[in-house]
Amino acid sequence: MTIQDFSSADVVEKQSKTENGNGNQMVMKGIPSSPGIIIGKAFVIKQESLIVPDEKIPSDQINDELNRFDNAQSDLVQQFLLSLNRVKSETGNIAAIMETNLLILSDPVITDSIKNTIKKGFSAESAVVQEFEKQRNYFKNTKDEILRERAVELDHIKQMLISVLKNQCINYSVAKNSIVVAHSLTTTDIVNFKEAGVIAFITEIGSIASHASILARSFDIPAVIGVKNACEAIHDSNDLIVDGFAGIVINRPRKVFIERYTKKISEIEEHKRRLGALVKMPAETIDGKKIQILTNVNFLDDVRTGVLNGADGVGLVRSENLIMELKKIPEEDTQYNWYKEISDRAYPTPVSIRVFDIGSDKYSEGLPFNEENPALGFRGIRFLLSRKDIFETQLRAILRASVNKNIKILLPMISSLHEVEYTIELLDICKKKLDEEGIPYDTNIPIGVMIETPAAALIADGLSEAVNFFSIGTNDLTQYTLAADRTNELVSDIFDSFHPAVLRLIKLTIEAANQKNIPVGVCGELAGHAASTDLLLGLGISELSVAPSIILELKNRIRNSSYQKTKQLADDILHCSSYKGVRERLDLALKDLTIIEEKDN
Amino acid sequence: MIEAEVTVKNRAGLHTRPAAALVKIAAKYKSEIYLVRDKFSINAKSIIGVMTLAAEQGSKLLIKADGNDEAQALQELINLFDAGFGEI
Repeated sequence: MTIQDFSSADVVEKQSKTENGNGNQMVMKGIPSSPGIIIGKAFVIKQESLIVPDEKIPSDQINDELNRFDNAQSDLVQQFLLSLNRVKSETGNIAAIMETNLLILSDPVITDSIKNTIKKGFSAESAVVQEFEKQRNYFKNTKDEILRERAVELDHIKQMLISVLKNQCINYSVAKNSIVVAHSLTTTDIVNFKEAGVIAFITEIGSIASHASILARSFDIPAVIGVKNACEAIHDSNDLIVDGFAGIVINRPRKVFIERYTKKISEIEEHKRRLGALVKMPAETIDGKKIQILTNVNFLDDVRTGVLNGADGVGLVRSENLIMELKKIPEEDTQYNWYKEISDRAYPTPVSIRVFDIGSDKYSEGLPFNEENPALGFRGIRFLLSRKDIFETQLRAILRASVNKNIKILLPMISSLHEVEYTIELLDICKKKLDEEGIPYDTNIPIGVMIETPAAALIADGLSEAVNFFSIGTNDLTQYTLAADRTNELVSDIFDSFHPAVLRLIKLTIEAANQKNIPVGVCGELAGHAASTDLLLGLGISELSVAPSIILELKNRIRNSSYQKTKQLADDILHCSSYKGVRERLDLALKDLTIIEEKDN
Repeated sequence: MIEAEVTVKNRAGLHTRPAAALVKIAAKYKSEIYLVRDKFSINAKSIIGVMTLAAEQGSKLLIKADGNDEAQALQELINLFDAGFGEI
């Protein structure tokens, strides 16, 4: 069971969408920003109007105004320092964010500029707004993606300065044990509320990648953002359910929902207790061999669930899921936003985006109808190279999203080296165009191939010269090697990833990768298959990418394995000529195994 | 006044975190410290300034320091760049 399974958003919506009256239950939809479920009372922060016009002051007040700004600034610096001291013991990430905000607040260039504006006869508030708007516009218009996002931080600092100037300080401590409902929250607010013992956050605006969201997640405080009109619809002391998995807020919930969610909360706690201790531990065998455990991503939320479960990055983004979801091939910007969001959420850990792996069984537009045999047909890289318009759009979107420098490109269904070469040519054309347009991207973006056809495994030595990494897709590799359709029940006994032929192809691939010193991972079902973990370890795999729900179980398994023993096991098994022999040897080595399966690979 | 050329070595470039590290060091010194890139000169004690330089990996910057503690300041900043801001 994944943590996400605890949320039952659709059930809630179906049952109560119609009841929107006063005093009745009201279900409000937002964006899930920090996971978890909370039942509690609301504490609503009314947003004061912070817009300050170009307010002039008489010249004899200029000195007072300068003092007022100095005092506000140093008050806020003190407040920031206090918050910073409180988070020092937390993760370095949070402290770094707050430190940057502190540096912006006390930036000498900004300070001088504000004071100069005050000296020209503007009020302190006006001067602050003018200066921050100026910087913000500069940040917003820059080509640098990361910088553009900092514009939001600037807004927060501006707002805080104005709040202090107007003496609109929030009394954080009264929010103890309640759910804060606000228009927006700053990082300082979040830290102070956490200190005050707030149990969840609801905001009307905000982005999932904003520092406030990151903070809420790091503090493990459930949060739902983007809940329209939350401050008006929710009144102080209202009963609330906050579902940070589904992005749902239930205002004045009926008893039946309180009971249902109470049950969910205890289930989540049980789940966390069971495996939670492993989250921060490395996937390392008892004799010190470290394995990267990555998460497979079908939907945005998988990134977070993966990280929550201690993934070392994203090993496989199945980008075709975006097509399934939207029922069409998404435009460049839609793709860009999705890839960027994944990259942000996973940062600084790596993200492998597999380009559209579609065939006529998954998507029909522009594809021949009724292919006799879609699995052996026009799919993956074959389709993409024939539809350069689609492929180029995707490559552009990925490149644009690569500014964090943690994205890798993964090519599906490769059977010949020239497919890689054509793709690299196309990628170079995209890069050149971006250069001409002055759009930034990661110039050294790594390219890898899926090893899922026997052909790719057999020419892995040649492929390894052209690419930066391999990812073995064991499901397809098995079906193509054994000529057994993985969806055909009549041949399901033949479809077996432990067949010696499959294992030998995997071994061949690993050897080719080791020769060129490039990483090789497994992202098929075999990676999440408990019986095979030892075998893959022994074969020399350096990365395993699995569904988020399997990560902790996999980690547990690796931490109980000995690399030396798994090497012996792999050696023995490679010498088996039948898969019965393989099974017997596996059974001998691994007792009382639970087989964990990941469907839909 | 003394100066030295440095190269941004870490992969992610002079993004927020390295910028903060740089500003914190610059702010310790009394000297006036400037970073120059393609004739564009900014106050090294200003985080906004340093971030707007948007210096990516491989870009070359000139550090200028002027004041009583200029030598020490320059050396510490050179060390910071050489270490790739602790990110390599």
